Amino acid sequence: MARKARLDTSPYLFILPFVLFCLLLMLYPVVFSLTLSFREATVDTFVSGDMPFNGLTQYQAAVADPIFWRAVVNTVLFAFFSILFQFTIGFALALLFQLNFPLKNFCLAALLIPWVLPVLTAANIFKGLFNDIGPFNQIFHMVGLGPFPWLAEPAFAFPATIVANIWIGFPFNFILLYAGMRSIPIEVYEAAKIDGANSWKRMVFITLPMLKPVSAAVLMLGTIYTVKVFDLVWVMTGGGPANGTQLLSTYAYQVGFSLLNFGEAAAIATLMVLLVLLLNLVQMALQRE
Amino acid sequence: MRTTFATLPRWWITVAALTVMAILLSPFYWVLVGSFMTPAELFGSQMSLWPKHFAFENWSVAFGRLWPHIQNSLFVSAAASIGTLLITAPAAYGLVWRKPRGRKTLFAFTLMTQMLPAIVFVIPLFIVFTKIDLVNTLAGLTLADMTFTIPFALIMLSAYMKDLPYELVEAALVDGAGQLRAFLMIVLPMTLPGLITVGVFSFLIPWGDLIFALSLITDDSLQPLTLQLYKAFGQYGIDWGFLLPGSVLTAVPAVIFVIAASRFIVAGVTRGAIK
Repeated sequence: MARKARLDTSPYLFILPFVLFCLLLMLYPVVFSLTLSFREATVDTFVSGDMPFNGLTQYQAAVADPIFWRAVVNTVLFAFFSILFQFTIGFALALLFQLNFPLKNFCLAALLIPWVLPVLTAANIFKGLFNDIGPFNQIFHMVGLGPFPWLAEPAFAFPATIVANIWIGFPFNFILLYAGMRSIPIEVYEAAKIDGANSWKRMVFITLPMLKPVSAAVLMLGTIYTVKVFDLVWVMTGGGPANGTQLLSTYAYQVGFSLLNFGEAAAIATLMVLLVLLLNLVQMALQRE
Repeated sequence: MRTTFATLPRWWITVAALTVMAILLSPFYWVLVGSFMTPAELFGSQMSLWPKHFAFENWSVAFGRLWPHIQNSLFVSAAASIGTLLITAPAAYGLVWRKPRGRKTLFAFTLMTQMLPAIVFVIPLFIVFTKIDLVNTLAGLTLADMTFTIPFALIMLSAYMKDLPYELVEAALVDGAGQLRAFLMIVLPMTLPGLITVGVFSFLIPWGDLIFALSLITDDSLQPLTLQLYKAFGQYGIDWGFLLPGSVLTAVPAVIFVIAASRFIVAGVTRGAIK
């Protein structure tokens, strides 16, 4: 009987530390953040300790600010163009790596480097490459163009941050699509070959349709990760110049830690979560068609 | 042997792949050679692909200045990695094989947290840690970083646990071993590759973290490597001779990991994607 009791309780002992961590350091902060978004939490109330409940005031303040909408548009465009190019480059590489060739595994591992690098390193690299007199402008100079004010003008800085993010994210798309393509049974291709389908036709009629579940997962994860991007833009431009690269993540951080308005920052954070959900719903709807 | 698409001579493809790789990795090449260049050469009128003379002093200065912060990063990353494994290894095993009540909810919650932006955790943790005096402590930063590593580690470890041949555990239990003993003597050794992979990732994530360090650590002596490097932007412009070697230094653990474990990563990701 005693033995039976021990066997029954021990699963809960195994998961107890995890459950405690989840409750104290994950669930509690999430709920705290949500309730904070309905409270006045500024420097004054933070010091005095009572953060009075004030309903939707924070949300109203957030959406009344044009910078917020700028950040929403930027976040959506940033995600769209990042994912478009990450996916395209990843897909092309995945196709190339379906072939067998010497040094394949070496190339594959090396191509993962941008993805495993700390984001700070990647951000510093692109801050240097896009410097006024940095390599990109040196290259444009050689063909008689520029110099371009990459990080000094919003119209240039925004694409510059997207280029950097594409660089960080393409390996993730590549490796997942590569794995997805490898899991398509080779017999399907062989049958198509016997039926006379050329390699282009095999890609359009076999690879693309059979890759759909993996592509959908990659795009969904890509959306989630891209909307979360903070470090890269924070280090490269800090959201500037003139909010030209301001994303919701950087804007929420500024409102929280520069303006010390934690309530409004928490409201923006909640709206960010809603945006992720919305983008994923749109994606699912598009994929169904 | 997969000849799915075209049949070209195989070395041709290698040349093509290496060319593509060279283009895609050129930014990384730039930071590597750039870390040995003087700022004058780095941003001269001509593009320089190889240092005219190696400015090793960039590296010695950067290393000297960053060493205390490297130690902070090592401490936080190691502590977070060990803590993550201690918490998630038993949990992943328990959730997958012991099937406690509420496991579906726990899994769903864990997956859901992956969707949340960091700011959702940063603000509440900053407020709470301020109240309980955990801001400006490495312990506080470690705990905060673990909110990144724990859900990720649980998801990844659960996949490894599912592959565990459970008959071996049952056999040990029949032989009279307790649950804890079976876990320590059978489950852990059998999932070692997974534990190592997850342990390394749980080291690299805190190592590269900026947002928690930025908001929780203001005391200069406690700043991890990333934060100290970020602060190098300063009001006097950017000291590239310091920033580039520092950026390479920050990347060292990740690059070592890719070189050492590329086969495992590829196999792991491949498996994850198929499931």
